[in-house]
This record gives sequence, structure tokens and C-alpha cells, in this order.
Amino acid sequence: MAFSAVLHPAFLLVVLPLKASLSEVLGEPFQLIPEILTVSIQSKLQQVNLQWTVPNLTHQELKMGFQIEISRMNASNIIWVEDYSTTVKRNQVLHWNWKSEIPLECVTHFIRIRAMVDDANYPPQNSWSNWSSWKEVSVQVSVAPNTLLIFPKSKLLEEGSNVTICLLYGQYLYNVSCMLQKEPIHGEQLDSHVSLIKLNNVVFHSHSGTNIYCQAMNATKTPFGTVLFVSKVLEEPKNFSCETQDFKTLKCSWEPGVDTALTWSQQDSQNYTLYESFSGRSELSDHRNSHNWKITEESQETYNFTLTTENNLRKRSVNIIFNLTHRVHLKAPHDVTLETVDAKKANMTWKMHSRGDNYILLCQVELQHETEVIHECNVSVHMSASYLFSDLEPDTEYKARVRCADANHFWKWSDWAQKAFSTPEAAPSQALDVWRQVRSENGSHVVTLFWKPLLKSQANGKIVSYNIVVENQDRPSEAEHYSVQAPALGTQLSLDMCSYKIHITANNSMGVSPESVMALSNDSGHASYRVNKVEAISHLKPRLTLMSLLTELQKNPGIVNPQSPAMKRYTCGQKANGVDMLRSHTLQQCYPSVLAAKEEVHEKRIKGTKDGFHISWEPLSGDALGYVVDWCAHSRDQHCDLKWKNLGPNTTSTNITSDAFKPGVRYNFRIFEKSVQQNAQLLEKQTGYTQELAPLENPKVIINNFTSNSFILSWPGYDSDFQSAFIEGYRVYLKSKEMQCHPKGKRTSLSDNSVLCEYEIKDPEQKSFTVENLQPESLYEFLVTPYTSAGQGPNETFTKVTTPDENSHMLLKIILPMTLCVLLIVIACYWKSQWVKEKCYPDIPNPYKSSILSLIKSKKNPHLIMNVKDCIPDVLEVINKVEGPKTQCIVSGKPHNEDVSIKPPSSVPTEDGSSGPVPFMFFENFTYDQSAFDSGSHGLNPGPLKDTPGQLGLLTPPDKLLNVLEKDYMKSLAESPTEETSLIYVSQLASPMCGDKDSLVTNSPKPVHCSGYKRQMAVPGRLPSLALSESNSLTSMILLGQGEQ
Amino acid sequence: MLACLCTVLWHLPAVPALNRTGDPGPGPSIQKTYDLTRYLEHQLRSLAGTYLNYLGPPFNEPDFNPPRLGAETLPRATVNLEVWRSLNDKLRLTQNYEAYSHLLCYLRGLNRQAATAELRRSLAHFCTSLQGLLGSIAGVMAALGYPLPQPLPGTEPAWAPGPAHSDFLQKMDDFWLLKELQTWLWRSAKDFNRLKKKMQPPAASVTLHLEAHGF
Repeated sequence: MAFSAVLHPAFLLVVLPLKASLSEVLGEPFQLIPEILTVSIQSKLQQVNLQWTVPNLTHQELKMGFQIEISRMNASNIIWVEDYSTTVKRNQVLHWNWKSEIPLECVTHFIRIRAMVDDANYPPQNSWSNWSSWKEVSVQVSVAPNTLLIFPKSKLLEEGSNVTICLLYGQYLYNVSCMLQKEPIHGEQLDSHVSLIKLNNVVFHSHSGTNIYCQAMNATKTPFGTVLFVSKVLEEPKNFSCETQDFKTLKCSWEPGVDTALTWSQQDSQNYTLYESFSGRSELSDHRNSHNWKITEESQETYNFTLTTENNLRKRSVNIIFNLTHRVHLKAPHDVTLETVDAKKANMTWKMHSRGDNYILLCQVELQHETEVIHECNVSVHMSASYLFSDLEPDTEYKARVRCADANHFWKWSDWAQKAFSTPEAAPSQALDVWRQVRSENGSHVVTLFWKPLLKSQANGKIVSYNIVVENQDRPSEAEHYSVQAPALGTQLSLDMCSYKIHITANNSMGVSPESVMALSNDSGHASYRVNKVEAISHLKPRLTLMSLLTELQKNPGIVNPQSPAMKRYTCGQKANGVDMLRSHTLQQCYPSVLAAKEEVHEKRIKGTKDGFHISWEPLSGDALGYVVDWCAHSRDQHCDLKWKNLGPNTTSTNITSDAFKPGVRYNFRIFEKSVQQNAQLLEKQTGYTQELAPLENPKVIINNFTSNSFILSWPGYDSDFQSAFIEGYRVYLKSKEMQCHPKGKRTSLSDNSVLCEYEIKDPEQKSFTVENLQPESLYEFLVTPYTSAGQGPNETFTKVTTPDENSHMLLKIILPMTLCVLLIVIACYWKSQWVKEKCYPDIPNPYKSSILSLIKSKKNPHLIMNVKDCIPDVLEVINKVEGPKTQCIVSGKPHNEDVSIKPPSSVPTEDGSSGPVPFMFFENFTYDQSAFDSGSHGLNPGPLKDTPGQLGLLTPPDKLLNVLEKDYMKSLAESPTEETSLIYVSQLASPMCGDKDSLVTNSPKPVHCSGYKRQMAVPGRLPSLALSESNSLTSMILLGQGEQ
Repeated sequence: MLACLCTVLWHLPAVPALNRTGDPGPGPSIQKTYDLTRYLEHQLRSLAGTYLNYLGPPFNEPDFNPPRLGAETLPRATVNLEVWRSLNDKLRLTQNYEAYSHLLCYLRGLNRQAATAELRRSLAHFCTSLQGLLGSIAGVMAALGYPLPQPLPGTEPAWAPGPAHSDFLQKMDDFWLLKELQTWLWRSAKDFNRLKKKMQPPAASVTLHLEAHGF
């Protein structure tokens, strides 16, 4: 038994190779079936690791091919087939990995393998071996009810890649919605409890990852989620290079690209590693973009660097190979010095860090002035070098700088080394540009000198002062010196009428500029005139007396040369003679004669453009030294700000440009010719606008000679300097209804049926216009506006004017005297008003205000009723007895005063007295009831006594009554003052006899009306008592003598 | 009458409630602790906004209010009102101390996740302030004679999430940490206000009752 046990393996060992040999010999298919050892899973990586062996392998090494199949969910659903070839050693455990796109927790996978010999040393095997048995690949995950599991739990991936997320639903969970950041995402249902969400081309959101979270709406609100850590794609380093400054260190630098770091411990920033292949050294860089590589072996000339960057997902590398001497970046030059040789030269020196004198360097030298490079030069030098700057400007700041590089193998310029320096001052190199303005004032020339500041390149330093030497041409020995301190740009001199030469120079600390010369002749102050070229009066003798000279000048005004020695003598010789009187004589008497020899320069109009003016002129003489054009920059201001332009001798035109030119402003240009003697003579005057503008305002018009048929409009002119354009004329607009325009006018009908006449005055000097053929008493409107080439003045409101009436002056002649007369009458009336008042309307007494009442009250004397003197009666009417004739009534009357004043109250008439002979009177006040009078309805209006004697008057007009009173009764009263008369006052307020008219009819005249009774009556004391008693409506009747009301 | 008034004024310094020269007691330190709590509330509001934005949606959404699952290790601030009222001073202060000890430890863990330097700085500043609050509570407890709670060995909280803890759940933990911290600060303000009132001397002011009889 033991033997058999030992024998059996030995037998097998013998038989098996034999069998194999037999198979080879017989050509039978020999199968090497792989055997799966383990199938493991790396969940985080979603990776399946397969390990297998090839049993029965007899050879030490055999090249074999394997085929691996993977199926999902069930074995028949094959999703992956991969061939894998390798050399298999005996008893070797083989490995193979597979990454699943779906998290392995969600789905079960199956895997199997088969093999085939693929070795050239052996006959080829035509067929695969049998498959190994299926191995299940799954991760056991239990999902609790009402929960959701999301896989992968976290995932690191690169931007732009794809990922599949799977959801495992627990029991009772449904209606699940998922979001990526804030966007909803949808998946496909793989199973009843598994769904897959495929995300393509994921993008980077945050360093803290992209959250995917799901919520089931039915159960709790618990969110379930996972985080995708999306990394940015690792970039290849750019511009990788290395260089040395000192042959000790290589400084390598590169552009690192985007940082791919993520938080949550997912991924750090990418690292950078340098590997040099010749030395085999590798160094991890401490910085993202550079690394200092120490040169350890001086003999090494060539370097081969590989820069590798790496993160958790990717690795990238770049390579460079170079010779060390070709990558030399020199240090900046040192010990730079600058030494000025003179005002225009400076020498620069510098040193370089170099390996030896044989080492040739290329240096670049630059000269800067105010940040502008004005000179640049390349020089080949050794360790130390120098460079001379020439043609420098005096008194100028410069900056010199230098940089160098290897001349043999240019790699990079070193940094700049620079030094600033200033050149010393030099004397000004240019003469001043000078000009003058001359005006005559009180017999002298007031000369204002102007000069332009020298340019910096001309001044060669700081100008300290300006020197002016005034040289009298007549007495050259008498030169006056003036000094004007900088920065003044002008000065004023007062000179007499002599000819002068003025020399002006500018000074700085180093010297004086070339001089500028101006000559002043004695006529320089008259800038409006041009001295004609006339021959000198040769016959004027030098010893002419003043008077004879004047006479000569008056005789020949056009042929006097003011430059003649004779003239000069008499205009400038005062000081020499010491006679002041002569001077005044000369100036006032002599000079006008000189002026007469000049021609007035007329102003020429020119048209400017927006850029300026083009000015041209005719030269006066052929030997001019040059020309000067001057003008005021501010012609409207008091401050002229004189500008000028110096021009060469052969110039006859120029363009004047200035930013100060404004449209609508008139600029006056004067062109002077400079003679050989430096004397400037006015050549031409030109005036113009850069742009003409329409007038801004209309003239103020005055109306003269205003008649019914015409009037004259007149207006003042404009100051030429304040015109916004050349005024070409005026337009007069006249507007009226139904007007005939003058034939010269232009007629236009307006919408409101009025007519507009336009008259154009083409002469700008004409400043009046007569408006004729007007209708009297008509309204006219007019407007006067100037017009220019740019248009006319503003459309202002028309001025209204109404022509007077034709006969108004006649009316005036009548009305005025009449008015005066009336006025005189009124004054006279006023003067005599008291008299008129007394005559026409005397004062009317009011009985209630009568003093009788107060008398009664005060004296309490029942017997004394009234003193007649206290009353001023309005009307006194004497009423006769009924039976008495009128004449009798008057005759029988007792003296009036006696009756009133003496008769005691006891004698008041009673009823018995009614038949008494005493007449009664009316005291009438017409003002109380004028209307009643007018209407004729008076209750107690007594009729004419002559018609109805003894009755209360009826139906008698008041005027008749008045007449009666005036003519008869007042007269009769006057004639019989002693007649005894009783007076009864009848109140005006009482209504008489209303209701008792019947009784009155029987005893007294019957009134027609009972209303309107406002009559005061004095009733005689012997009025029949019956009448009184019966007519009891007279309640307010005052019975005189009775003492009762 | 005047003599009476003078007598009262003469004896005023002897009134114990007005004599402030002695030991002030725990009142001021409770007040300081209360003030610090309110300051931390304000500071947390700004920090939480920044950090939740950093976590991303849904954590920074204003209506995100998940049920509290997990985060069991965090001390819970919410408590039944009756229970809270019945807490004695010692227990009240001990709970506060223990809670902030734990929360501070968790909060330091947040720093490791923070991406930006500014966020890290804000977190560090808040941690320092919270450390100050812890010290302040300890001071109050010492003033009242209560011993500080000793941490049990082995129960020292540590920021060590288990391997199965997903990053999403870690973010959720951070969210809960900030929320719980907010609730704790709110509760502490109530706690210290209550303590403050309780510790306030009863006779903080003296009312002089004078009766005038017929001037």
C-alpha cells in the first residue's frame, strides 16, 4: 500500500511528460486552460483585479494569449472581451485589471478566461482552450428601506471626461429627483432598484467639488448625495528654459499653467520634477514656475533636462537640451560712471562680470532725454569699457544706460545699468525774435518791445536777463543801456522823435546771445501810414530855419523825405539846442507836414479758414531784409496780446495759424517790411475772420420826424472789432395791414393778411431809412437788422408804431384853448363858490336839528315855542283866508316879526279862529322830495293861490309854485312885514289826510294823492280848527302858538 | 425735617447695596460672557455664509433644512423648555462648557477642508474667539465655585471620519456643525441672560421714602 502510494506520483511524473510529448507528436490539440485564482474589486477605482495561473505548464516560459470576457447582470450579457498576451512562466500568477464605467456596487459582473499558446518555438495552436468557469464579481451592498445609496461615493475625474452614477433605491422609496449643483439630472432605470445617470463632459465648478444630491419626495426629506471632484486638465509647462549668470547655478523657469488642486484631500497642486539625463539627477521643484539647479560638475557643457509635472490624474513633461555657454545671461554692468567733457560731450565708463579678458561682450549703449531714446549704439567690449557721447545739448538732463550680452553666443541681454547726468550751460546760441509796437504820445515815441523766449536748445542755460541798448542814430555816442530781468518778455521805452537803433540780447550765466537789432525812424509811431518812396529834397539847405522849413513843407507836402537830414535836425535837435519851445513847435507844426508826405494804408479784407489765415502782400522794395506780420491775439480785449511772425526776405505770403483764433472774431493783420537799416515800415493792413458768424444783435433804432405819413429810422453803427462778420448792409422790415410797399421794397403777404415789406440797404455806412407813404392812424411794425455773408441778425420782435391822425394837429389847436377856458371857468367858479352856493343852492335847514327844540327843552317854557330868528325858512307862503282876496290877505296881515316873537301860546288859534283873516304859509323844502315834485303827486301840494285861494294847493307844478313864491308871496311878505301871521309847521314825515279826505273835501281843498307828503308847512294860527281836528292824520303838525306838537 | 434728611444722607455709605468697593461677584464675568456670545453669533453669521457657499448647493440654499441624520457626535443644543428651565446653574454652565469644547474641536477640523486662505483665516479667527468664550465660561464656573468637567479618557472627540463616510456626508456634517453652533450660541445667550438676572443683587437701587409734614 505504501509502495503503491509512492509509486503513483512517480508514475504520474513519468506519464505526464510522456503524454505531452505524445500530444506533440500526434498533433492533438493540447489545451492549457487558465485557472482563475481570485477576482478582487477596488470599489473606489471601480476596478476588477483578476489573478489566474496556467496549470500544467511544462515549459519554463511560454508566450501565451488570453481572452477575457466580462458580462453584466447575467452571464450571457457580455459587455467586454479583451485579448491579453504575455509570456507565462511556470507557476506564475498572472494579473489583469479592468475598470468598470458603472460602479461595481450597483451591478453584478461575471468574468471568465481562456488561453492559447502563441509561441514561435512551438507549433501554433489553432484554437482557444476551453473557458474557465464564470466567476461572479459583485459588492454586497444592503440598502435600508427608505434610503438611497449613490455610487461612487466620491469621484476624482478630469474636466471634460464622462462618468456614470448609479442609484440604489431602498424599499418604499420612489419618485426620486436628482440635481447637479442646481440643475436637475435624469437617469435610466436599469433595474427595479437601480438606475444609472450618465454625465458627459463634466465641467469644473468648485475646488470643493460638484455636489450631486437626490431626494425622494415620499419619505423623509433626507438628501442623499455624492461629490464629483472635477479637476482641471493638467497643462504642459510652457517656455521651459534654463540659463546661468555665474556658471554655478542654472536657473530653470517655465510657465506652470492652471493649478489643478482640489480640497477635501482629493488632489494637491501638481508637482514639478526636473530630471537631467546626463548626470541622472532628478530634483523636485519647490516652486511652481522655477528651479535653481546647482552645477556640480564644471566639465559638463551639455545638459538634457526633462521637466515633468504630475497630479493624481495625469502626467506631462517637456524636454530641452542645450550647451551651457549658450545660455549665459550676464549680470548687469557695474561701476558705471559719467563725466562731462564740456557742454556738449560726456564720457561713460562701465565694468562687467566676466570670465576673462578674452571673453568678448556686446554692449548696447542708450542715451535718453525725457524718457525718449535719442541715441543708441552697440559696442564690442571686454571686461571694462567706455563710450563718448557727443552732440549733447548744454544745460540738459540725460540718462545714459548700458546692457551687455555674450558676443559669441547671444542669448539674452543683461539688465540695464543706468546713470543720470546733466551737461553744463553755454552761452545762448540764437538771437531773440523781437518785435515792437510804437505809438506817439505827447510828442514822443512810446516803444513797447516784445521778444519771444528762447527755446531750450537755443538758450543753452537759464536766461537771467535781457540787455537792451538804445542807440541814438543822430548821436551815436549817447547809447542807453537797460536790463530786464527774466522771465519778462517785453519792456516799454519812451523815446523822443529821433531815429534809434535798439539792440537786444539775452544773457545766461555763461554769456550773451547774438543781438537782435531794430531801427526806429521818426515816423514809426504812425502805423496807419506808409511813407512813399520819394526823393530827398536836395534843395533843402542844412541851415534852414524852422519857419522856412515849415513853409517849404506846406508848399511841397508830397515830396518831403522824413529821413532827410534837414527834417531830422528840426524834429530831433531840440535837446541839442536846449530850446523846449522849438521842440513843441517842431512836433506840432513840423510833423503834420511830414505826415502829409505819407500815404494811408487801406485795410484789405481777407477770408480765413478754420485753420487760420493765408496772408500775401506786394513787396515795396527789392532789398527788404524780411517781413513781419503782427496781429492781436485778443482783438476784442483791451489787452491785445501782440503776436508776430518773422519772415524771410523772399517771402510774399504766409499762413498764420493759431489755436487762439475763434470764429466770429475779427483779426487785424499788419505786414511790415524790414529795410536794410532794420527799420520796419508798414506795408499792408489786412483784416478778416476765420469764420464769419451772423450778427448776434440788431441795432437800437430811433424814430425821427414822425408824421402821419412817414417817419425816419436811424441807428448807430457797430464797432468794427465787435462785429462777428463784415456787415454788408441792413434790411428794414416793415409790417402792416393794407400797406403799399415802396417800389424798392420787396412785398410779402403774411398769413394774417398783413403785408411785409423788405427794404435792403446795401451800403453798410448808411444808417438811416425813411419810411414813406404811410396811412394816418395806422399800426406799423418794423425791424432793422444787419446782414453779413453768414446771415442776418436775430429775428427779434418788431417795434410797433402808430401813425398819428392827419387832423390831430387841428384838433389840438381847438381843444387846447377850450380846455384852458374851461379850466379858467372852473377856477373862477371855485373862487366864487361861496357866492354861487348862496345864489344857486343855499343850505336847507332840518327841522329836527332846529335849535327850537333845544330851546323848548332847555327853557321849559311852554309859552315860548320858537323864536323866528332861530329858524331859517325854506319857503314862506302866505295863505289867505278862504274867503279873502289875495290882495286883502296881504294887506290884512300883521307884521311878521311881531306875530312870531310876541304872540303868547295862549293865542294859538282854536277852532273858532279858523275863519280868522290870518293867512298861513308853506315852508317848503324841495330837496326833501324832488321826485315827488317831479311826478306832481303831492298830497298837500298847494295849487296856485290865485286860482284856488284858500285851498291846500293841488296839481300845481313846483316850478310854478316857486315862481309864485318868488314873484308874489315873498314879495308880498316883504311889503307887509308887520302883518300878523300865524305859522304852523307841518312835518314832512306825516301822511296827511289819508282816510279823512272826505272830511277834507268838505272844508278844504281836496288832495289828489295822499302819499308823498313831505312838505313842511307853517299853518296860520287861525286855521279853522275844524279842519285841523278832522284832518287828524296830520299828527306831526306843529301848531305854533299852541306849544304842543 | 432737615436733620432727618441729613441723617439719612450720612448713613447712605453704609447701605450695603450701594457699597461697590467689595468683591463684584460673578455678575460682570457673566455679562462679559453674554456679550461674547452675542459677538460670536454675529461673527458666525458671516463665517457660515462664506463656508456654506464654499460647500456649494444645496448647502448654501436658504431653504435647505434637512432632518438631522448622522452627526450624532455633535452636542445637541435643542432641549425641552421645561427641562431647560429646571436646569440648575451648575448643570447649565457645565452643558455649555462641554458643548463648546466639542464644537471647538470639530471646528478646527473644518480648517483642513478650506480651500482659500481667507476662509482659513476667518475660521482661525472664529476658533480663537470660541476659545475665548470657553475660557469665559470656565471663569464664571470658577467664580461660582463649580469644578470644570473633566473629559473622559478615550472620549476626546476627534475629526476622524470613518472610511465609509462619503464626502457628501462630510459636507453634511459641516453643515450641521455650523447649524448646531448657531443654535448653541443662541441658547447660551439665553442661558447667560438668565444667569445674569439671577446673579443680579436684589437691591441694586435704593429708594428713599421721605414724608414731608407741613412745610
